[in-house]
Amino acid sequence: MAKETSLKRRQARGDFLTTLPLILFTVMFVVGPLVYVVVLSFLTRAETWGTVPEFTLKNYADIAQPVYLGTFWQSLRLAFLSTLLVIAIGYPFGYFMAKLGPKWKRRTTLLLMIPFWTSSLIRLYGWIIIFRAGGVFDSLLMALHITSEPLKLLYTYPAVVVGMVYALLPFMIFAVYSSAEKLDFSLVEAARDLGASPMKAFFTVSLKLTLPGLLSGVVLTFVPSMGLFFIADILGGNKVVLVGNLIQDQLMKAHNWPFAAALSVVLLVLTTVIIWLYRKLSGVKDLEGLV
Amino acid sequence: MKKMFALVLSALLLVTAFAGCSGSSQKNGELVLFTWEGMFPQEVLDGFTEETGIEVTYSNFDYDETMLAKLETAKGGDYDLIIADDYIIETAIQEGLVQELDTGKLENYGCINPVYQGQFYDPEDKYTVPYGAGVQTIVYNPQAVDIEIKGYADLWDPSLEDDVGVIGSYRVVNGMALKVLGESYNTEDIAAIEAAGEKLLELAPNIRLIKDDNTQDDLISGEVNAAVLYTSQVTMAKMANPDLKVVFPEEGIGFGIMAQFIPSNAPHAENAYKFMDYILRPEISAQCFEYLGYYCTNKDAEEMISEEYRDFLTLPADIDTSSMEMIENIGADAVAAHDKVFNEFRTACGQ
Amino acid sequence: MKNRTKLPNLYLGVVLALMYVPILLVILYSFNESKISSVWGGFSLKWYGELFRDREMFQALWNSIVLGVLSSLCAAVIGTLGAYGMSKVKFPLKGAVEYVSTLPIMIPEIILGMVFMAFFALIGLPFGMTTLVIAHTSFSIPYVFMLVKARLVGMDKSLPEAAQDLGASPVRVFLDVTLPLVFPAILSGMLLAFAMSMDDVIISVFVTGVDTNTLPVKVYTQLKTGVTPEINALCTLLFAATLLLCGVAALLGRAPKKQESEKDVTEP
Repeated sequence: MAKETSLKRRQARGDFLTTLPLILFTVMFVVGPLVYVVVLSFLTRAETWGTVPEFTLKNYADIAQPVYLGTFWQSLRLAFLSTLLVIAIGYPFGYFMAKLGPKWKRRTTLLLMIPFWTSSLIRLYGWIIIFRAGGVFDSLLMALHITSEPLKLLYTYPAVVVGMVYALLPFMIFAVYSSAEKLDFSLVEAARDLGASPMKAFFTVSLKLTLPGLLSGVVLTFVPSMGLFFIADILGGNKVVLVGNLIQDQLMKAHNWPFAAALSVVLLVLTTVIIWLYRKLSGVKDLEGLV
Repeated sequence: MKKMFALVLSALLLVTAFAGCSGSSQKNGELVLFTWEGMFPQEVLDGFTEETGIEVTYSNFDYDETMLAKLETAKGGDYDLIIADDYIIETAIQEGLVQELDTGKLENYGCINPVYQGQFYDPEDKYTVPYGAGVQTIVYNPQAVDIEIKGYADLWDPSLEDDVGVIGSYRVVNGMALKVLGESYNTEDIAAIEAAGEKLLELAPNIRLIKDDNTQDDLISGEVNAAVLYTSQVTMAKMANPDLKVVFPEEGIGFGIMAQFIPSNAPHAENAYKFMDYILRPEISAQCFEYLGYYCTNKDAEEMISEEYRDFLTLPADIDTSSMEMIENIGADAVAAHDKVFNEFRTACGQ
Repeated sequence: MKNRTKLPNLYLGVVLALMYVPILLVILYSFNESKISSVWGGFSLKWYGELFRDREMFQALWNSIVLGVLSSLCAAVIGTLGAYGMSKVKFPLKGAVEYVSTLPIMIPEIILGMVFMAFFALIGLPFGMTTLVIAHTSFSIPYVFMLVKARLVGMDKSLPEAAQDLGASPVRVFLDVTLPLVFPAILSGMLLAFAMSMDDVIISVFVTGVDTNTLPVKVYTQLKTGVTPEINALCTLLFAATLLLCGVAALLGRAPKKQESEKDVTEP
């Protein structure tokens, strides 16, 4: 008896040990920066360079100006739209991918990733070639007699959305795939055999079981999409201002580090709230601990 | 899958073994050069190493601010020679991160074009040697634009709707409106900056893109038909399409200088002097500027620049240098106003 | 699994094909004579010539690959162990710790970069490959962690328990039972982490040393003169090399055919 409990305890200690590298790393390299950012956001900027250690709330007050609030709103809108589209395209992809044979699973995994191993800037240039006036897309539409003259597609909002979806898709696909892959498809078959319609079988069995993956996918796409400002720069001609962009500008142009920090803190809080809300609304209480 | 990992790993190991062979050899010491990528043709760097035996380590930064932050962290050490923009050098000097130059060590010091010396960031030329200047100009395609563009004010013309591209520097863009309103680039009057912001909102419908990299491509492909460009971009645009017209805005000409300086604790300052002197040699300098595409800051090099480039790399003789103004550091409140105005402008462009 | 329709496979094919369109255009334009990317100046190998003269480009590429491999491996170890441990232990604030550990993808890169720089200077760590690997590992962990966790949630616990009841040590259970089950998730996470590492410039610029340029740093810092088409040529070569490597791996993988086909039967 005593032996068994000591074994259990040893095992619990072992389990805890496995989390130790993560916890240590998190404390050093995540909590550290977070504390730094929060502290910085309450400091005063120096006249030309650096900060003065004087407490102020001015940086937060400044965010309340309509132009900066508008930037948050624009970022959120774009992030929502991109995430929705990424789910629409990526979820079925991950789901179908999980049904492939092992050989094709591996091939698809690699085929998915290869384009993303090259510089994102270069891939964006590929999109520029497509969207350019008289470019690939225009020529295609005109050849099909859908349009008669070049559309000005580059440097527009839709171009930005396409770029976002393209950059974020693999995150969603992999997240859905890694949870759908362990899905026992015989359960779906069983539900069908019991008379459930394909739709019903999907919603009651498949969707429910792949929800953890979908949720991870949302976190991995929604969160970064707030910061992918270079896509808005390159495909949107810098006319869609995102929070990530604003933060970069504060540091690299205005030399206002505390304001950049305050913007980051608000961004972090906002994303946290949204993900928390999403979790509540999608009713994934049983997935205790996820996200 | 395991097999593949093994394969990838062994391939990596193989390459490491090869890479190991080409490790840097310590011959005559080294020079750590810290600047943007693409500032020197490979031949110039190789030529320097060949002549002096000094290995050049070329380290890069993206923005001036990154450079200053890194230099500050290194307490003025680690790097031997830095090339950056004028305004950040002023700050670096104030922060005590730059050492005074001993110009006696530079045989070719006399070659520098005095137009680019004695500027705000180093009024007595104690710390820096210029390496290239940029002048903001308007470039447009006369075949596709109905009006004749003479200055910034013409960019507001309704015929240019959704047809104008500008570079992404907020001081340059806001500066256009300031110039149209007859103000200085460096005004610290918040009301004037806000008035410029109002003026810019009227320009928004004409703006198709605001960006820094390869904006000349959009002008050449016809995505925009008029653009405010950096000098190196103007050079590339003109080389690709000689029909484009380059305009020195009548409201006044803004310009900037890139300059070299030696950090206060540079580990190999002597080598930095050797390199500075090497690239001041007129024939080497000419080679550098043809590659760089910025205005040549070396007077003696001007005549060595080949015919096809000369017009783009030297100031036209009829330019009134007194109408030229540099963009200088301004106070925090003015910067905040500029930032706000620029963001409002960008948002308005996206509507 | 009966294959009722080919439609899903068609969907996979179409989406994959669309993902390759921009890459194919980059390949095409790597043979463009003109320096201006918007003008087709005729077929030329000029940029390949330029590329091969640029020794530093290959050094930077090599640095990037080493960095990507090392940081995704570190992230795989820390992330997998962490997700596994977190699924078993219970302690107050566990949810908070898990949440915070995924934050590096939330903190704007530029801020992470500056903080890392200050932190490494503070502890006196010399800037170079070590600092790069630490920084990249930190933003790679969330990818592995989240994917492995999504797979562990609701996973059939009976297998590891059965193994344990049969007397296997916890380490053995983890290595022989759990690890193979979560392997696809680890692999996906590593692939993503590698891609993120190969693409990062903002953090790298801050934490790199004087002689450890990475490829993105070298490419994205051409701000003063504009990015040259040389990079298109490099991307094309990278792309070709990756395909070649995969092809060779597939050929080699064909040798132990028995095991493969066995697997094909047992897995759904």
